[in-house]
This record gives sequence, C-alpha cells and structure tokens, in this order.
Amino acid sequence: MASNQFSVASPPTDAISALKFSPDPDSTRIVVSSWDKNVYLYDLRDENGAVGEGKLLQKFEHRAPVLDVCFGATEDEIYTAGLDWDVKKIDVASSTQTVLSSHEAGVRSVVFSKEHNLVISASWDSTLHVHPTNDPATAPAIIPLPSKPFSMSLTATKLVVAMASRALHIYDLKALAMLTAQSEGTGPNKIEIEPWQRRESSLKFMTRSVACMPDDAGYASSSIEGRVAVEWFDPSAESQARKYAFKCHRQTADDVDVVYPVNALAFHPVHGTFASGGGDGVVALWDGIAKRRIRQYQKYPSSVAAVDFSGNGKYLAIAISPGFEDGKDDVVEGTVKIFVRELGETEAKGKGAK
Amino acid sequence: MGKKRRGPTLDELLARPWCYYCERDFDDLKILISHQKAKHFKCERCGRRLNTAGGLSVHMSQVHKEQLSAVDNALPNRSSLDVEIFGMEGVPEDIIQSHNQRVATQFQQAEAERQAVTGNPPPGTGVGGQPAKKPKLESVSDLKKRLAEHKAKKAEARTGGSSGEATPVGAGQTPTMGGFGQPAPAAAAAAAPAAAPTTTSQFSYPQPYGTASPYPQTASPVYPNFSPGQPQFPPTAQYPPAGYSPQPFQGTPAASFGTTPSATHTPPQTAGAFPPRSGSLPMPPGLPQRPAVAAPPVNAYQMQQMHMGQAPALNGGETTQAPDTISTSVDDLISGAAKQAETTADKPKSEEKPKKDKSKAIRLVYSDNETSPEEKMAQLARYAFVPEQKGETVLEEVPASVVTGTTREMDTVEDAADR
Repeated sequence: MASNQFSVASPPTDAISALKFSPDPDSTRIVVSSWDKNVYLYDLRDENGAVGEGKLLQKFEHRAPVLDVCFGATEDEIYTAGLDWDVKKIDVASSTQTVLSSHEAGVRSVVFSKEHNLVISASWDSTLHVHPTNDPATAPAIIPLPSKPFSMSLTATKLVVAMASRALHIYDLKALAMLTAQSEGTGPNKIEIEPWQRRESSLKFMTRSVACMPDDAGYASSSIEGRVAVEWFDPSAESQARKYAFKCHRQTADDVDVVYPVNALAFHPVHGTFASGGGDGVVALWDGIAKRRIRQYQKYPSSVAAVDFSGNGKYLAIAISPGFEDGKDDVVEGTVKIFVRELGETEAKGKGAK
Repeated sequence: MGKKRRGPTLDELLARPWCYYCERDFDDLKILISHQKAKHFKCERCGRRLNTAGGLSVHMSQVHKEQLSAVDNALPNRSSLDVEIFGMEGVPEDIIQSHNQRVATQFQQAEAERQAVTGNPPPGTGVGGQPAKKPKLESVSDLKKRLAEHKAKKAEARTGGSSGEATPVGAGQTPTMGGFGQPAPAAAAAAAPAAAPTTTSQFSYPQPYGTASPYPQTASPVYPNFSPGQPQFPPTAQYPPAGYSPQPFQGTPAASFGTTPSATHTPPQTAGAFPPRSGSLPMPPGLPQRPAVAAPPVNAYQMQQMHMGQAPALNGGETTQAPDTISTSVDDLISGAAKQAETTADKPKSEEKPKKDKSKAIRLVYSDNETSPEEKMAQLARYAFVPEQKGETVLEEVPASVVTGTTREMDTVEDAADR
C-alpha cells in the first residue's frame, strides 16, 4: 500500500525460517531459508541497479527444511543449517554445496564471524560446532551446551547463545578461535570451554530470539510471551542495572490480553536501534537506549518470521509466514511473503530520550 | 389536553445531532462523536482513534509517515480535510441549512404518507377530524381578519391609557381568544416551513378556539417550537388545563390575572404591538410554575423575530427566518453538549487504563515453554527428515558423520527433537 514498501517476487512456497541481508553496505542481496527445503538468494536491484520488485538470483535445494542461513566472508559464500543435521557451505558462483559438519539433531542456527573467520552452528543436540573457515581441513570443535539452543547472535568479539530453560551463554570469540585452532586433527574434537558469561534470561518464558547491538555493548532478547529484554555485556553492577525488559506484540481482545511471541529481532547497523517482529504480524522499531518505540508498522497478514536490516541500514526486510507459532497450519498460497521497506533518512533513528 | 405521541416531531428530528461526513443522525452527541472517531477519524494503520480529521492527518504523517488525503467513509463531497469537524462543531452553516431542509422535507413526506395510510388527522388537530383543506383556506383569511381586530383592540387599549394587557383580556374576551389563536399556527408554520401546508391547517380552524378551552390548544402547537432543546415534555404536564380554563379568567378580577396570560402566553399577546416582556414579569402567585420555555433556548431577540416574522410567513412570505434562528440555538445547545460530552468522555478513558493493567487475563498464542515452534514444526510428517538418504549426497570427507550416521539410521528427526 505504502509506496516505500514492496514485496519481493517469487517468495518461498512454505514458511520462512530465516532471512539475512548481506553485511556488505553496498549490497542489496538477501538470503532466505525456508521450510520448503530451499535457500533463496535475492537481489533487490534489477539489472539496471534500480531497487524494485527484487529478483530471485538462485535457489539451492536441500534435503530437508532449512532452519537458518547466513552470508560468509563474501556475498558468494552462504552457510546453511538444516533439519538434515548438516551445516553446509554454498558457493554461489559454482552452486556447489559442501557439508562442513553434521550434528546429531536438527541444526537450529548458524552464524559467521568475519573477524575470526569462524562458522558457528548450534544444534538441538545441544552442541555448538565451531568451524574455522580459513583452514577447511580442520575438523570442527564441538562445544557442549547445557540445553537446546534456540537462537544465536554475535558481535565482533562475542557470541550469544540463547537456550532452553532460559539459559544464556556469552562466549568470547577470540578464545573460541584460539581453542579451535589449537585442536589439530581430523576427527571431531570435543572442547570444554567455559563461557565468558553464563546468564539466566531476564525473561520468564522461552527465549525466542537474540540479537546483538552493533556497537558490541549488549544484546536484546525476546520471548514467546510478548516481551523484549535489553541487556549489556559489561558485568559491572552499574551496567547490569541498566538492563530492562518491556512488553510488546500484544493485543487486547475481550478483556483478554492476547500475547504473541516475538519471533525476530534485528539491530540497525548504523543507528543502533532495533526492530522486533511478532506473531501478531506487527513490526516495531525501538530505541533501546532511550527506551522508546520509534514506530510501528501496519499489521502484516501473517506472523513475522524474520526481520533484518541491510548492511547500510537503508532497507528493512520482513519475512512473514503463517503457522509459525502453532506449528500445524497449512500454508496457504500467498501468505508467505517477503516485504522490503525502504527506510527514510531518519525513519529508524532514535529520537533521543525525552 | 394530552395528545398521543406518534413518534418524533419535526423539531426533535431537527435537534438530533448528525454526522457531517455521512449525514447519519444519532440519538445524542456522545454517540455521534464516537461514531466519528470510529468511522472517520480512525487510523487504518494502527487503529488509533483521533478526535478530528486534522488530528488523524498529523498522526498519519508523524507516526506512519503517510499522507492522509481524504476522510474515510465520507460522502464524496464531504471527504475534505479542510473542514475541522468535531461532533456538530465546525459544520458549515450552509450544510446545516440544507440538512435541516432535507430532514424537514422527509418528515413532511413521512407525515403525509402516514396520514394517507391511516386516515388520521395530523397531530394536534381536534377530536372531530375535519378535512384539512377547507379550514385551512378559511382560516388564513379568518386569522388575518382576527389579527387585525386584535391589533386594533390593542392599540385602542393602549391609547385608552389602561394598564397593559389586563384590560383587553378581561374586557374583550371573545376577540382576544381569536387573537390568541393567530400567532400559534403562524409560529408553527414558520418553524416548520416545509411542513407548513399540512401543519397550518391543524391549528387553524376557528371552532375550538372560539369555544371550549383555547389555551391548551394554543399552547401545544406553540410549545415545541420554542423548546427545540427539550422537545420531549408533553405540553399537558406544563399546562394543567384547570389553571387555564376560561372560568377563572372571567370570574377573577382582571388585575390579578392580567399578568398571568401574558407571562405564559407572551407570544400571542405581544405579537401585534408589544416587545416581548417575559423577562421582566414577576412570578404570579397561586399559579403553576412558569414553564421554562421562553428562557433557555430562545432569547428575547429570537423570540421577537419569530413572532414578528409570523404574519408575512402566514401569507406565504419567506419562511426561512425562524428555522434559521432555531438551528443556531440548536447549535448552541449542541456545542454546549459537546463540551459536556468531552468532559464526560474523558472520564471513562482514564478509567479504562488502570482496568487494562488490572485485568491479568493473558492468553499466550504460543504457550509451550519447553519446545520451540521450530521443533514442533520439525516433528510434522511433511518436514520429517530421514537420515538414510544421507550417504547419497554427503561428501566423503567427514568420516565421523558416516559412523554416527549408521547408528542413527532408524531414527527420525522426531526422536531427536524430543531429546
């Protein structure tokens, strides 16, 4: 409806599990993983470089639904995590898929650290696999987790893993990289590494998503009970006193507060504000420092599965798909969509504390 | 005496607040305002209800970065944002005029239809329902004649030096009676210009006026016209017929009663020669309380205007004057009520908020705190992954996975997820 928003052509045919923009500031590429067993690579620009409909560049079929995806060191490198227990690397140029490692259960998330050249995957088998990318011969390090991981996010130096039972681990990437490098050998090597910090989620319910601040200061987490918490890494009492949580993605109907899960969080790379996407189909922008909502977008026709900002912060991509929360809806044609919103100069900028 | 009420009178209809944007009318202003907030001033993005179109426009541009171009659900020619409407405030005068005109026309049509269907006389007519046309023609001339007579009497009385109205009332009983009857239909006709042809006839045939009890008769038609704000009260309640029956008039000395009719029946008395004096008159003792008719909605000037404009109106002259003043007075009332509504509307709002916080009834859309939605989805048959296929596509470089792959060959993902 609004002119500054368009929906991407040829969306996945089943629910979307993840959506990521290329971290390259000049790029308008989006990679999307779906339950229809495919990974989709889109570019918002057409041949002439104009941003319009967006077009599907390539589609990579997997053996099982793909749960997470991320870009690697370049735009031609994509890492995927799927229900087939594998962590894969896709080389876009040659369209080849390489299995980096296999977990013993579905792989929930995968992230790539540019600074340390690590691909880290988290699986429901309650392990992390750390793959050094500069040396593909090295076997991945396996780090046991106390619970099933649900979401993962990283900064230049930290890795935040949110798990079941409200557990949350913060790892120091440098230590991870060193440990992985040390463990030479061919077989998978288990490493017992103490996380830099162990935390309990400040939210009472299951963690749905975590996202780290671009300035490496802290992170936001969301739960299935319509709430978002903002916390800081700094363990000092002063910084910890700054953490807070707020309610969102709720609707009052007949005196009953209907609470939706907050499925997705994403920080703006420039302004440091963040977007939340909920099961209610609403996307809201927040200023985590000023503790204010910047704006809320119109309700989308189905649950928001993923949100992400482009590398330069000019675009906000929103993936919607139904049945994400009850897990049994049949996917109706046309309910899975990817919207891209072109943000105004100050649209995602915080207003400053009042 | 009491008359049967057959539904809203024209004045009640005219007094109803209505929506500028869609021309719907409402029982009271509060409902109108909530209608406007819900239908015309509601943000389609977030559902927020604003008070005015301007407010909505600002909201849309600030909150959603969008430009509001027209008011929602409005009639095609009313969707402009330029007119600031709140309730009945801000409606342009000409629109009010045309609306009133339309309501009056509709009312008249409905009235005529009903009369045609039921065969009943129009409301306010005496018991012996006569054909409408004949008395009407008769009465116009008749009334004029009597008005002239009455004026003459008045002038005579004044020049004669007698104290005001007392003398004419006491002395010239019969002619004054006729005089009383005159302005009444006139006022009614003027107030309801559209309804004039039918309504004029009701009040105007001479028989009842000359005979039994003229006061209730004159009172009832006059009444609603002077009290558009509170048109509901039945005339009988205000005018117990006993107090106004002709007998006391004739029996009691003119001095004590002389003021009374002029107080309650100011219009007829002053119509001809005098400026309205209702305000200066003292409360007569021993009489039912003076009805609060003349005072609130119609001021002295309007009253005078209504009465002054009557004679020409009756002759088919311009009739828009009275509705004009009435509609403005209605407007005053409405804006007053609007303010009231505003203040009262604020209250429930402030009450609502704590209520929301109190009500802890919460329904989680996804309530399983142990298993993530993705795990649940992974358990669905259509997403089930059977690792047997593994050997075909897996690359040979990872021997460990082959080993583990064989051990879990029977397993499905469902088991894995349950772990």
